[in-house]
Amino acid sequence: MALLTPFSKVPELNTATVLLVENEEELQSKLANALVQYKKDFNVNVRLARKLPLPVENKETRPRIDLIVFVVNLLSERSLQSVESSLAHLHSDCFLGKVCFLVTDARCGSHTQERLVSVRKLAASHQSPVLCAEHRTVDGVNAAAVRLLNILKVSAGMSPIATTALYLSSLTRCSVTSDLEED
Amino acid sequence: MMSDLSSLAGLVSEPSGEIDSSASNRSLRLAEKEKRKGEADPFGLAVKYLSQVEAGTVVRGNDELERNMLVVETVALSKGLPPELITVLLDLALSLNAGTVNCTRVLKFLVPATVVPQEAVVKGVSWLCAGKMPMNAQVLFVRWVLTVFDLIDCKDNLRSIYGFIFSFVTEENLCPFICHLLYLLTMREHVHPYRVRKLLDIQAKMGRQPFLTQLLALYKVFRPDLVTLSLPSKVRTGFKNHSSTWKVALSAVQRKNKGAVLVDQSLSLDVKEKPSTRKRKLHHLAIPPLSSAFDSNSNKVFCLQELRSFKELLENIHSIELPAQMGSLLGSSLALHYLDCVQDESASLRLNFWLGHSLQEEFLLCPGDGSSDNTSEARRFLSTILFSQQFLQEGFSSTESFLYKFLSVWDGSLLRPQILDLLSDIPLMPSVYMHKLLFEPLKQLYFTSTVFFKCSVIECLNSMLVKWLTWHSVSALEGGLDISLNSNSTMTMTLSGFMDSVMELVRFVGLLASEGLRLENCHVLLLNQTLAFYETVCDMFLKYSLPLIIMPPAGVFYPALFATDSVSVDRLGYIMYRYRKNLTLAKKQEQQREEG
Repeated sequence: MALLTPFSKVPELNTATVLLVENEEELQSKLANALVQYKKDFNVNVRLARKLPLPVENKETRPRIDLIVFVVNLLSERSLQSVESSLAHLHSDCFLGKVCFLVTDARCGSHTQERLVSVRKLAASHQSPVLCAEHRTVDGVNAAAVRLLNILKVSAGMSPIATTALYLSSLTRCSVTSDLEED
Repeated sequence: MMSDLSSLAGLVSEPSGEIDSSASNRSLRLAEKEKRKGEADPFGLAVKYLSQVEAGTVVRGNDELERNMLVVETVALSKGLPPELITVLLDLALSLNAGTVNCTRVLKFLVPATVVPQEAVVKGVSWLCAGKMPMNAQVLFVRWVLTVFDLIDCKDNLRSIYGFIFSFVTEENLCPFICHLLYLLTMREHVHPYRVRKLLDIQAKMGRQPFLTQLLALYKVFRPDLVTLSLPSKVRTGFKNHSSTWKVALSAVQRKNKGAVLVDQSLSLDVKEKPSTRKRKLHHLAIPPLSSAFDSNSNKVFCLQELRSFKELLENIHSIELPAQMGSLLGSSLALHYLDCVQDESASLRLNFWLGHSLQEEFLLCPGDGSSDNTSEARRFLSTILFSQQFLQEGFSSTESFLYKFLSVWDGSLLRPQILDLLSDIPLMPSVYMHKLLFEPLKQLYFTSTVFFKCSVIECLNSMLVKWLTWHSVSALEGGLDISLNSNSTMTMTLSGFMDSVMELVRFVGLLASEGLRLENCHVLLLNQTLAFYETVCDMFLKYSLPLIIMPPAGVFYPALFATDSVSVDRLGYIMYRYRKNLTLAKKQEQQREEG
């Protein structure tokens, strides 16, 4: 099985590549536009996919992918299942700070809360951060894009003081906390 | 159109006396004109038809009934219904004169434009007692009452049939909503031992349901001698969502009728007015004076709404009645003064319940279709809460629980200034909970966000630390080392527990600051916010009499020392000077204690 590996290719000059994986393809394009249009001092390539594994045809032309973002829509059950199956196609080296989870509709009631807990457990077992995004407003999408750019900068190795992706992931990783009974 | 019909009625019941012939001609002409107008008006006709529907009317295939229903339905969902019409339609629905299907249909479009007359609701309850309605209609009716509860003009008659409403608690399907309704209606005189026993029996059968616990908690507040079981001190929102069917239509109608003076509609959080005009709106609330209902000793009881100045508040402080809708107190400094002074536990319970429920409804239960996008209203609501909290100089417990839930689903930019300001009002908490509730979510947000967010977080935590230290220094003065965390909470904390919490907070900020500075290449704003935090920390002994000295970590010290701007170096120098002063004073006091 061809796994996606992070270090098998040479990086390009002053460029970072991010892969957005989303089953519903709702937020992908908006986020991609926001990522590209935001003012920053390095180039960003955005690649979109519905799920992994990526098609074999493009394997040679595809640049090195610095960050893989799994977008999970908490209102649909398929979304999380698709992400779980895609995770199997990643080489274990990717989980050294090159994977992150972005959830939407986290504020929509009790079903989403349960799914959010499952996403957090998944992220914690893979040492990756979980970001919540407001995908309905322009401001929300821009804010999510800025946060992704911050992570991307580090995982592409462009952070000024030597901060590796692994180190950042140790700060941002999701930790599963047991539900406290507030009394 | 209703006014036309009523004026017709007025013309008919003209007082007897000398009627001028010309005047009678004129009145005949007017009557004809009115009649012609009424004939051309489909809504008026439809209303007239529906008000005359008798029992046993054939429903299936009755096109005329269907047509008139449709007319009324369209008007109801767009403009809302006037009070008299609500009475008529509710009666029509619940008497099942138009069939059971139409019963639920009418209930679903029964959107009031202004107020709901309480006689309509009382009559509705009597139809409920008749027991002919199917269960889903019964549940829909009770949910409707809950949704329009704030629009009911007066609740006295409803309170007097408390016992009848209580009897429905045994119905399993109705129980959650009945408990909610009882929660809103209960006064001290309604709490009786047999009712408490009944609720406990039901709890034994149904298990510890949140709605039962909530109602019992309120009973306990009024009569702690009757309710002896232990209940959680911090009430979570225990009642199910009831307003979903009408929420959209109701808010649309309210928005249309914005110009009219409305009762404080706090169910759907349409806080349209600014806090300054909100106070004025409070005074216009159309609640009739309570002296008629509670007047046993001919003492005039004031509503908070009637008071205009602080002087009046002081003069009448012993005869003030709190409003039924506790949420209307927020934003009014007069009302908050009274609330703080009187320290009524039931009032704070009700206020916290309403606040928690509203916050949850607005921010944590957003509809999946993305229809709610009223961020400016939400911002104003949060600002009102912030104002009230700052006025009372302490946070509400429901805001605290809401914030913990919200932080874990926050994206870091939605309503950022308000959320961070509310966060700084969080009262002291035991260090055990701090990591899970506060630090973990903040950490995950902090390290992925921009430098400005990082600065805001450090500033917020600085403000939180200052408030904790101030609270401690005030409580320690008042007596004893055990401080109570909140004027309404019974949790107390020892001095060592307090010091643990402070140490955890300072250590956490140290971590955030050193890593943040590293990631942001010692950004000057972040450095300055960090140094402002350590200015608070270095003076803990001298300013706040807390015997704790915590030095800044190397990740903060060295960037400040080798900073390229002089302001940071200067501040660092000042901080080290203050540390020295604190340490030398502590040493001197130690020496004095050993000698003396």
